[in-house]
Parts: sequence; C-alpha cells; structure tokens
Amino acid sequence: MIRLGTLFWLVLVSATGFAMFGVKYQVQALEDELARTNRAAASEEHELRVLEAEWAYLTRPETLEAMNRRFLSLGPIATKQLHITATDIPLRPPPAPTALPVGPPAVVASAEPAPAGSAAASAPEGVPISQPAPPETAAEPPATQSALRAMPALLEKPPAAQLAKTVPVKAVAKPGAPRRAKSLDDLIAQIMTSR
Amino acid sequence: MAAAQPYRGYDENPCRPRHFKPPPCAPVIPEGPARKAIDACRTRLLFTSILFACVFAVVALRVVEIVLLENGTAQSHMPRFRIAAPPAPARADIVDRNGRLLATTLDSPSLYANPKQILDPAEATRKLVSAFPTMKSLEVYAKLTSGKSFVYLKRHLTPREQYEVNQLGIPGLQFQHEERRVYPDGTLTAHVVGYTGIDNAGFAGIERGLDKALKNRREPLQLSLDLRIQYILREELQRVIDDFTGKAAAGLIMDVNTGEVLSMVSLPDFDPNHPGAVDPDHPDISIADRMFNRDTLGVYELGSIFKIFTVAMALDTGTSTLTSTYDASHDIHIGRFTIGDYHGKHRVLNVPEILMYSSNIGAAKMAMAAGGQRQREFLARLGLLSAPKIEVSEAAAPHFPAKWREVNVMTIAFGHGVSVTPLSFASAAAALVNGGVLRQATLLKLPPGDVPQGQQVISPKTSEQMRKLMRLVVERGTGTMAAAPGYVVGGKTGTAEKLSGRHYAEKKLLSSFVGIFPINDPKYLVLTVVDEPHPNKQSHGYATAGWTVAPATSRIIQRMAPLLGVQPVDEALPEIQRALMVESLQGKRLEAY
Repeated sequence: MIRLGTLFWLVLVSATGFAMFGVKYQVQALEDELARTNRAAASEEHELRVLEAEWAYLTRPETLEAMNRRFLSLGPIATKQLHITATDIPLRPPPAPTALPVGPPAVVASAEPAPAGSAAASAPEGVPISQPAPPETAAEPPATQSALRAMPALLEKPPAAQLAKTVPVKAVAKPGAPRRAKSLDDLIAQIMTSR
Repeated sequence: MAAAQPYRGYDENPCRPRHFKPPPCAPVIPEGPARKAIDACRTRLLFTSILFACVFAVVALRVVEIVLLENGTAQSHMPRFRIAAPPAPARADIVDRNGRLLATTLDSPSLYANPKQILDPAEATRKLVSAFPTMKSLEVYAKLTSGKSFVYLKRHLTPREQYEVNQLGIPGLQFQHEERRVYPDGTLTAHVVGYTGIDNAGFAGIERGLDKALKNRREPLQLSLDLRIQYILREELQRVIDDFTGKAAAGLIMDVNTGEVLSMVSLPDFDPNHPGAVDPDHPDISIADRMFNRDTLGVYELGSIFKIFTVAMALDTGTSTLTSTYDASHDIHIGRFTIGDYHGKHRVLNVPEILMYSSNIGAAKMAMAAGGQRQREFLARLGLLSAPKIEVSEAAAPHFPAKWREVNVMTIAFGHGVSVTPLSFASAAAALVNGGVLRQATLLKLPPGDVPQGQQVISPKTSEQMRKLMRLVVERGTGTMAAAPGYVVGGKTGTAEKLSGRHYAEKKLLSSFVGIFPINDPKYLVLTVVDEPHPNKQSHGYATAGWTVAPATSRIIQRMAPLLGVQPVDEALPEIQRALMVESLQGKRLEAY
C-alpha cells in the first residue's frame, strides 16, 4: 500500500508540473501576442507617418488656395474688417423681467438668440442677409422658448402672444427692433450705436 | 551457512509461498560502531534537509512577497515583457512653428535582384520594364545576367511600386529596407529646410546645418518658420519677378524682438524632393543658381537701405542731430567717382530729409562728418562685417574694403562698397528699431515669452528716432507705396546699381525694401530684394524699389498681419501721430526748408 504522504507529494508534484507548463505556454502565447501587437503598432506608426505626410501634401497652401478659388472664393482679410475686436461687442444685457425691453438693447437681445444673428456674424462682409431667413420663419422651438422665457411680459399680452404663436421670432423682433441688419456692416453699426 | 548469517529475515518460514515477500520493515540495527555510523548519517541528512527546506521556504516567501505583497513592483522583475517603443525614424521630422510638417522620413524599400536566382532573365526583364517604363530593358537585362549576387534595380520605391513588383512574382527579386526623406511642401521651404542625399545625409539648409541633431533626436525639430507667411512671401516675390521680369529675388520676415525668422524665401528655388531635377518651366536656370540661398549665401551691395545705418551711426555717436543740415545741391566728385542724387532736391537738406528723399550726397556728407573709424566700428558692432550665424550651413562672409579710404566712407554711407547678406542686414535693421538690441537671427522656434540675450548696439533714444525717421520715409518719402493702412509701416527703399566688371551698370538694378510694422511698437520686419527688375507700364518706366518691392511689402504686410494677430489701428489717432512725430520738423512744413 502506498502511503498517503507519498500520494500527496506525487499529486502535488504533478499538479505543480502541469501548472508550470500551463503558465509557461500561457506566457509564450502572451509573448507572441505582444510581439504581434508591437509589430502591428510599428506598422500603424509607419502608416501614420505616411498619412501625416500625405495630409501635409494635400493641405499645401497652393492646393488650399486653388480649392478656395474653386469652391469658396474667400479673400484675404481686409483691414477694415478688423477694426472691431471681440471685446468691442457688448455682452447680452440681463433680461428685463418686468417690462418689455424697448430701445436699442433689444436689438442685441433679439438679434443674438436667433440663428440668423450668428449667421450674419460669420457671413462675409457685404453679403446681405435674406430678410426673413427660412430658419427664422419656421418655428424653432428652443430659440423661441428661450426668447419667450426671457420676456415673460410678452406672454401676458394677448395680442403679442397670439403673434408669437404664429410668427414667433418676428413677433419678438418687432416691438424692439424695427430695423433688421441688412449686412454685417449694418449690424455692427447698430451694435455700435446701441452702446 | 546458517551460522554465518545471524539474521535471516523472511527466510524464516520454510513453508512460505515462493512469491511471498514479507512487508518491509526497518532493519534491525545492530548495536555497536555500525549503529553509531548510521546515527551520524541520519543527523547529517536531517541537517541537509532542514537547510534545503529553509532555502525553499525563502524562495516560496519571496515569490509570495513579489506576487501578492509588493503591489505592482513585480513589474520591474519582468524587463522583457515591456512594450517595445515604436521604432524611431532614422532622422527626426522637421515642423514649422505651428507644428506643420516640413520634412519627414518614410520607409521606401529599394528593389534589388540576386541574378543567380533569376531563372529567366529575359522574361524578368520584360515584366520589369512593363511595370517601370523608365527602366531601360538593355540595362536591366545586363544587370540580371551579370552573375553577381546583388544588383540594385531601383532605389526608393513608392508603396504602389512595391505592390506592383510583388504582383509580378519574379523569384530572385528582393526589397531592401531603406528610408527616404520626403518634403511635402516641395519648393516652398527648399532653401531653409534644405535636402538630403540618397543615404539621408543632410546636403543643404537645416538638414546639413543640424545634421547631427536630426540624426540623434526622436521628437520633431521645430523651426521658427511659419508656412503660411512663407507662402505669402514667396507668392508676392514671385509676382514681383513676373511683373518686372526680375532675375531673382530674396525675402525675409523676422520677429524684430526675438530674432526669429518667420519666413525666408529665395527665388528661383528648387524641389528638395528632386534636388537635381531641371525645372520644366524654366529649363534655362541652372541647378546651382536655383539652390543658391540668396538670403544667407548671397552678398549684395544693398544700396540706399544702408542709409539707415549711416543715420543711426551719426545720431548715436552724436556727430549729427535731427536738425543738422547738409548741402546736397551739388554732386560730389571724388577720384573717378561722381556721387549724385537720384531724387535730387538740389538744396540744403536736414537729416530727416536725407533719409526721406534718399539723398546720396547728404548721406556721404553725414558719414564724412562722423569719420571712417566710427563708421567701420559701428558696422562691425551691428555684425555687418562678419558672417551671419544661423542654423543653415550656408552663410557667407561680407565683402568690405580692407583699407577704409575716404571714397569708401562716402560710398558705404549709401550702401555701395560693403556687400552683406540680406540676413545680416535684417538682424542689424531689427536692432535699429527694437530699442537698440542686436539679437542673433535664428531659424529655431523659441519658447513663448523667451527673449534671447542681446547686445545693446545703439541707445533706445536713437532707436526711437530711427523709428520716426523710417515712418517718415513711408509717410512722405520714397516708400509711400509700402504703406499698409492700419499697420503703421515704416521702412526704407534701396535701389542699387549692380557692379558689372569695374563699373556700376545703370540699367542693372538691385531694388530692395526694408519694412517694419507697426513702427510705433515694432513687431515684424519684412525685407525684400529683387535682382534686375525691369520697368513695366504700371510702374511708369521705373524699376526702383519704390515701385517694385515697396508695393509688394505693402501687400505682404496686409496679408500676414491678420494671421499673426496684429491689430490694425487708426493711423490718424493723435497718440500714434504724437508718438511718431519728428521733433525737429514740429510745426514746420518739410518743403519749407
């Protein structure tokens, strides 16, 4: 009869042996994977370098200029376009909770939340903003809501509220801003006079 | 036999079956010396096993410690499992000040053949020539039948070409891993970045000047160049050449407060990707001419723009003041030379007017009043009598007379007799307007806010006076066409006659303009030089600086200033007018003199 102790050690030895080989193969597999990954990373790195070079080649100033001439026809910034800096543009005035904002500040208030305001700001100089632009007449829920929230007094007046329902942005713009900016110059002039 | 064996063991039972063996049991150890020996053995065994057990226990404890207790530090015991760093390119990239790629290294395998392994040279040749139309079939066939074991067929294949060769499936063809320098912007930065040879050794420009550094670093080398500005400068210079059928042009834009070169253009230029190739548009221009960097290697008698140094010297050394007057009504005859004025006023001129109307006679007299010694020292102090120090390998030493005679003093006063590189000129001119500090020009980007140590060459007061005078030139003098409304440009025109043989040729001009803006708080310097411009209809028969490079400078400034964030100002603002007012002229009309 084999003694229990011997059996125990035998089992332990073989278990250890198996475990060790198991770990060894696992490590080998991991090492292979690591080498594969490293190779893949190196080749990606190389591809990245090629792509970067290609990007630099495709965005050469002369290519960009040719594409600009074809698709955008943007010109160099004229000096007169730079007379106003970002700091010259006033911040939006705080909303007046009690009364309908009357007078120049409303021009800013009404021109800014509407999408046309931002479009006007980014449009090249001299390009007239189409009078009631499509996104303006089509009811734009978020803009309208914020505009209405800013002027609760408007909601209290039944005729104005009715107007707001049908042509919301126009209704907001009408009492405060009788004149809509026709161009960027115009808009800037308005802003300057309102200060 | 039985008597000889005191202990019989399992043979005791005579009736036992033949296969029976009694279970083993500890041998009966006899008393006496044998017992002693066995005891000693046992004790030794016990010691040894305890020793082994201890060692194994230590090993086991160490394993437990490493794996469980020392959190993460076990990593240091596995050096070979570290993730390999991506392979470094053989040469660092070069980027501009905004990180835009100017030069990079890409893998480009070379195709070679082992002719001993080629089975059918004729067939292989036919296939190769069909894939690469530029190859000559005779040559390829000769190579493939040469009997060597290594012949290059084509160096530096593109990925597409490599794919095509693999498609051909010719045994005996192999690729050799090689790297190749690629310049995505081609000619645009050719003279600054330079180029490398087939084995990636730097041959020109930064590639040569900083060859070692590029070989040894991993991260890209950042230049002070701004590719956008470089493009603007090159385009405008090319326009000047085209409009006035000039031979060549050079341009330089520099940050006057740090010495960083934002742009450096020399025309005609070359494609660093194919440095030896002939330009199909201008096959008559030699390769050497196109590779010649006119900004750092070309030395020129720059002419009238040198007068700013004469005036600065006279004002700084105190030999003249802004109110000093010099008689410019008659030409000066000295030796075989006659010094006359191009924009002659034929009257007594004061110092601001000498610069405004670019009077050669006035400048010569000013220099004579100061003396040759002072002039020479002053030019040396501004670094105009020594080769410029710059990162590119091409830097030419100036030409100046060994003996500083009277006639030299006079001609040098208006820029003839001393030939300098445009780069040296730009550094010195920047020192005149930036408060009087001469800083070495650099092509490497400085960390933001880092202003390198400079050398005070003129007093801040003289520098302020120079700014005012240079503004006057653009406001009412010869450089009115360089004005860029809103950017308060100041500068100086220079039209030099080129020396041909022993005489100055009147028809061969070198027109140059140095512009600084905004002159009330100088930021950037624009130097443009055009070689042999010819008059055209728009310029009313003039090829002088005022009509050629001055308008170009205006256009360059108007295009580059918004990119560099220079805010235009209203030039009529009283504080700017006051800052640029020339005291000596206060309340007097210039023409009243």
